[in-house]
Amino acid sequence: MPNETPATTVDDIVRSRKKKQRIQFGFYLFLLGLIVWSIKATVIDDTDWDRIGSLADIGKSISHFIGIDFSLIPSLLGPTIETFMIACIGTLLGFIICIPAIWFGALNVTPFKSVTYPMARAAMTISRSIHEIVWALIFVSAVGLGAFAGILAIAARSLGFIAKMSAEAVENIDPRPVEAIRAVGGNNLQVMLYGILPQVLPIILGIVIFEWEINIRRSAVLGLVGAGGLGLVFFRQMHTFNYPGVTTVIVAIFGLVLIGEVASHYSRKALI
Amino acid sequence: MNKSDPLRSYSIQGDNVDREWRRFKYPQTLVKYGVLLSVLVFFTYSVHYLNIPLDRIMGMFGRLGDVLANRYYPPDLGYIANQEYLDAIVETIQMAYLGALFGLLFSIVLGWFSAHNVSPSQRYIYPIARVITMGCRSVHEMIWAILFVTILGFGILPGVLALTMFSIGFAGKLFSEEIEAIDMGEVEAIRAMGGNHLQVFVYGVFPQVRTAFTGIAIYTWDVAFRAATVVGFVGAGGMGWYLKRNIMQIETHRTAAILLSIIVLVVISELFSAWARIRVSKAK
Amino acid sequence: MAILEVSDLRAKYSSKGPEILKGISFQVEEDDFFAIIGPSGAGKSTLIRCINRLLEPVSGTIKLHDVDVLKLGNRELRRLRRHIGMIFQEFNLINRLSVMDNVLTGRLGYVGSLRSIFRVFSNKDIQRALELLERVGLQDHVGKRADELSGGQRQRVGIARALMQEPNLLLLDEPTSALDPKISREVMDLIKTIATELKIPVLCNIHNVQLAKEYCNKIIGLQDGNKMFDGPTEVLNQANLEEIYEMEIL
Repeated sequence: MPNETPATTVDDIVRSRKKKQRIQFGFYLFLLGLIVWSIKATVIDDTDWDRIGSLADIGKSISHFIGIDFSLIPSLLGPTIETFMIACIGTLLGFIICIPAIWFGALNVTPFKSVTYPMARAAMTISRSIHEIVWALIFVSAVGLGAFAGILAIAARSLGFIAKMSAEAVENIDPRPVEAIRAVGGNNLQVMLYGILPQVLPIILGIVIFEWEINIRRSAVLGLVGAGGLGLVFFRQMHTFNYPGVTTVIVAIFGLVLIGEVASHYSRKALI
Repeated sequence: MNKSDPLRSYSIQGDNVDREWRRFKYPQTLVKYGVLLSVLVFFTYSVHYLNIPLDRIMGMFGRLGDVLANRYYPPDLGYIANQEYLDAIVETIQMAYLGALFGLLFSIVLGWFSAHNVSPSQRYIYPIARVITMGCRSVHEMIWAILFVTILGFGILPGVLALTMFSIGFAGKLFSEEIEAIDMGEVEAIRAMGGNHLQVFVYGVFPQVRTAFTGIAIYTWDVAFRAATVVGFVGAGGMGWYLKRNIMQIETHRTAAILLSIIVLVVISELFSAWARIRVSKAK
Repeated sequence: MAILEVSDLRAKYSSKGPEILKGISFQVEEDDFFAIIGPSGAGKSTLIRCINRLLEPVSGTIKLHDVDVLKLGNRELRRLRRHIGMIFQEFNLINRLSVMDNVLTGRLGYVGSLRSIFRVFSNKDIQRALELLERVGLQDHVGKRADELSGGQRQRVGIARALMQEPNLLLLDEPTSALDPKISREVMDLIKTIATELKIPVLCNIHNVQLAKEYCNKIIGLQDGNKMFDGPTEVLNQANLEEIYEMEIL
């Protein structure tokens, strides 16, 4: 405990411990109160319990989903590939538009600190705080329905995470090679290419692959707002009440994500 | 000495022996360019397969700017200042809080079971727990929301459950990674004393990861809040419902206001979570 | 004729901070192997870094071949730097690049931006790099990554890189303090031989007085930013050392 007057007697120690305990207790009580209030306001008051019915009814609605619609499988191949491609191109595009954001957003290399740094930071925050579904809606309204809007949404959403992590990596580089390149008379571009880039490239690629893995998951839902891929099939099955079909689509998503996770794991290992 | 180059220029005489050097040796070059080429082919083919109008990409940014400037600006701030919308914000926060909390409770257990080094049974429980966390994680929170809405109807409860599943996937993985990185000496000490699996977890594992868990918990809340802003899209409560309604009705100025409020709230929650995590890691 | 003339050099780390160098003057002549000694914190590294303006001094003049270093613009400064080789305490190599690429970075000052993007170096540069690597005894490690080498080998790469610049002056910033005594001597021998052979004056900052006495012909002693001693190595005596280090030297 910092700047605490030394406790002279046992009484003081006991008192200070009691005080600390009381504060902790109050904090937990506050959290508990928050839980009770939240549960009451959201779960109890807001829920239409008649609609849900008994536990048996819930079981019945869940049981609709059990089973796999094998007739759907052949027609899933196209959308699966599409989802995969949207994730890949979206990540690539996100990475490309990220490069200036990394450059501007890392304090040690940003060209005009007072202008470019806040600009890049704002772009990162906006990109991260708007959900991919909302991004997709914005792009659908700008370029129309289809995979293209999905790619743009993925790219816009990826920018924030990739740029933030990469800018941190750039800020944490070893300054010594940079000094060496400056000492041999290298210009700013050469300092970046030889002093900074070799150090951060593997880290940035790792970040991009990690984001790609997440993007596979994301691109699988963009169909909900008309941006193509597995999400569209999912929605269609939902609308036609073909519940086993829904399960089939989810299994397909699961498989795709699993492939992505394994690929990401091994390629990131290979980078080190 | 010339003017542009202030120092005398000289060249050290070499010994005129011809030496060979290539940046990449033969098989290395082949692998490198092979991988590069196949990636390139894949991307080109994807662009073709998805029918992406490459010629429109450049013009698109201008159009997007126009759309934002003309249709979304200025945001209709009056719309988000009313009581109903503020209630929805509170609802969203509550939803994220409960979802993250329930998710964390489950994911502590799942994180323990799916950590390779201390899992009670590496043959059975470990793979099962792994599959559960992965399943929760690979299915997007929107899909969880749709599923729960189908089963339970509209309302906040499906939203809470969707966020619970999301938080299990998110925090479960981080927890298990954290547990896998602990010092096994303490675990061995408890095992040597004859402790059972629960005792090993409570005395050997948990004290080591308590701080990290608190940090992850705060982070999970932060991420869950971001997801909570949109699960309302499919009828699972919170601000998302307003977003959807206004987008469908092409009320662009109101949409802009809602987006603005989301950004502001997310930034606040992010600042708060960063502050809280620093506090926790300092307090230990 | 003096190759490098430094007069009344003053430097600070930050605009409000204390002065690190409090008016240093000295001259390096042709064929000099010039040592700067002094306790840590005396400003040795700062002084070395002011010569090629990796640190900007506050005031004073530095003249290299009658060129006023402190008056140069950015572009001219880069042109000047490419003639000043620098060897660092911790080698400052680019760890993820190969030994060869590290040596070739010594030519960056001569290579245009476009060519440096694609790492295209002329055949003459490549020949010279291989020759230098042979000279420093690393011909078997050309394709290895720099972080696979031992400390002594890395410093040899640093030497080859500095020589790649065809320098008119070599700056050594504690070149041996990250190495063990035996390797230190090997590295110093190598630098001394090459510098003598190519007639390159050397300005060396070194905390090991024994090494300084063995290899250098002139010495200046710094203490807390002030020059306490300046003269040929033979003149340096026990009393001078005690003054520089403010303590008894055994």
